[in-house]
Amino acid sequence: MRFLPVQSLTRPPVLAILVAALSLLNACAPASDESASSGEAATRAESAQQALSKDLAKDSALAAEPAARVAAVPAAQPLSSHYGYYVGMFYAEESDYKKNPMAANKINVSIDAIQGSQIKGHSVVAGNSRPFSGSISPAGTGKYKVVAKEPGNDPYDGVFTFTLDTGKKTVIGTWSANDKQLAVTKRSYELEKKSFKYDPNLALDNYTVEVYSPNMSDADHRAEGITKDAGKYNASLRALKSGEVENMYRRDLEVMRNAIYARHGYSFQNREMRVFFDNYVSWYIPVSIDVTKQLTPIEKQNIELLKRYEKHAATYYDRFGR
Amino acid sequence: MALETLPARPRPSKRSWGLKPFWFAVLAVYSYTLWLMLEITLQYIPIRNDAAFLAIKQDYVHLLHYRIAFFVHVFSAIFVLLAAYTQFSRRIRTRYKSVHKQLGRLYAYVTIFLAGPSGLIIGLYANGGLGSRIAFCLLAVLWVAFTLMGLVRMQQGKLQAHIHWMIRSYSLALSAITLRAWKVLIVAMFHPRPMDAYRIVAWLGWVLNLVLAELLILWLLRRKARKSAPKPATLKPTTLPEVANP
Repeated sequence: MRFLPVQSLTRPPVLAILVAALSLLNACAPASDESASSGEAATRAESAQQALSKDLAKDSALAAEPAARVAAVPAAQPLSSHYGYYVGMFYAEESDYKKNPMAANKINVSIDAIQGSQIKGHSVVAGNSRPFSGSISPAGTGKYKVVAKEPGNDPYDGVFTFTLDTGKKTVIGTWSANDKQLAVTKRSYELEKKSFKYDPNLALDNYTVEVYSPNMSDADHRAEGITKDAGKYNASLRALKSGEVENMYRRDLEVMRNAIYARHGYSFQNREMRVFFDNYVSWYIPVSIDVTKQLTPIEKQNIELLKRYEKHAATYYDRFGR
Repeated sequence: MALETLPARPRPSKRSWGLKPFWFAVLAVYSYTLWLMLEITLQYIPIRNDAAFLAIKQDYVHLLHYRIAFFVHVFSAIFVLLAAYTQFSRRIRTRYKSVHKQLGRLYAYVTIFLAGPSGLIIGLYANGGLGSRIAFCLLAVLWVAFTLMGLVRMQQGKLQAHIHWMIRSYSLALSAITLRAWKVLIVAMFHPRPMDAYRIVAWLGWVLNLVLAELLILWLLRRKARKSAPKPATLKPTTLPEVANP
């Protein structure tokens, strides 16, 4: 798409009509955070722009007027190619240790729409999904600076400030909380662009991990380590049998069951599961806070089986009884 | 050498409960475990197919004969454990013979017709593999056999044999408690996997009881032999017989 010179304004009446038509087109585009429809709006704007450039003579101008809400793209690559998930760890930089802060969670900062100098997206972390919106401005070759605020009606909302590097496909920056009394008031992150696709074949590596409950007096969870059993079976691939799971520790059953949710990109509220999947499972990307509608029949069956044995182990493992 | 009757060893006196303190303590602990067993039994009321232990028996709970055997066992077995209160007390056995007789018959019939056979059936489907299944089926068979022998020997009037068989029978009935107690101990000490622990206690729970029962029977036999042997006190002090004509 050729960048047309501003100054030569020939045939103003035709130009005025075409600009008005374009503005109307943009006004009709649905305003939403869905990357699909925003993408559609962007492509509609782009194709309208291309049509415009074809219709006008090469001296006619398309003024980059702020009134016309058409994306003025300085670079050759459309910004919609940078929409997507940027995933990495969300580290605590400033926290109050007395309030039991979480040192790091895996975060997914999703850029959903860029229009002009406006950016819209949402973040998924620690069982929360919050939208954000703000400003985006160029800051070097292929780099953009973003300052985006979360709505503010949730106690954990804050402001994201980051640099989007479209060359390296990274998002690097900080986040600061609105509420300065929170356990963590500032966090930092270096995220890489990743694509998420549900794959039932994703398995847990065979390693032994010690995951301790922060509340050591909780008898059900105290110091239960995850053993290699947790990676023995993939509960998303085939229906498991009682004989396979009856001789497993409760924690391993819990991990096997939650791995089903992890494959769908579920963001865990449960702290122990979150610590495990955030830090020890490389393919895990938190994408959604509710994945129940996406579970396959095999997975639902296995969840029921594993939950039964988990519950039994939690109640009876160390009690007087069989 | 003059061997007089040794003075009686000072023994603790029986308190007003009619029991020596040691046995009272034993019965108190036993009562606590019976309370735990009652708690377990109550979990199966109302009758459901997934209550408590059945949660991990879902592969078999659809079988009618399994369900019947399971609930018969759960609701009858607890009565069997009440035998401890009446059947071993010397006072009841000597002074209230009919109580011992009637409750003894109750114990025997519940074991032979209800708790034993049902235990055999559900033992066929035991968790933990072939080893556990053999353990529980063997337990059921031996329990019924010993109880039957005890009953028959009583009907034949052979008291000692009756006592010995009933000790064996009851030691197996007691496995309900010892199996669960061992499980708690083993889990607390070694933190094994659930079925590994189960496979151990399936045998440990009753074999050790039977061994102790046999030792008890041996001890009883020895005690009886000592009692019926000529007492040292009846021997007159040995003196050389008078020689009539040196």
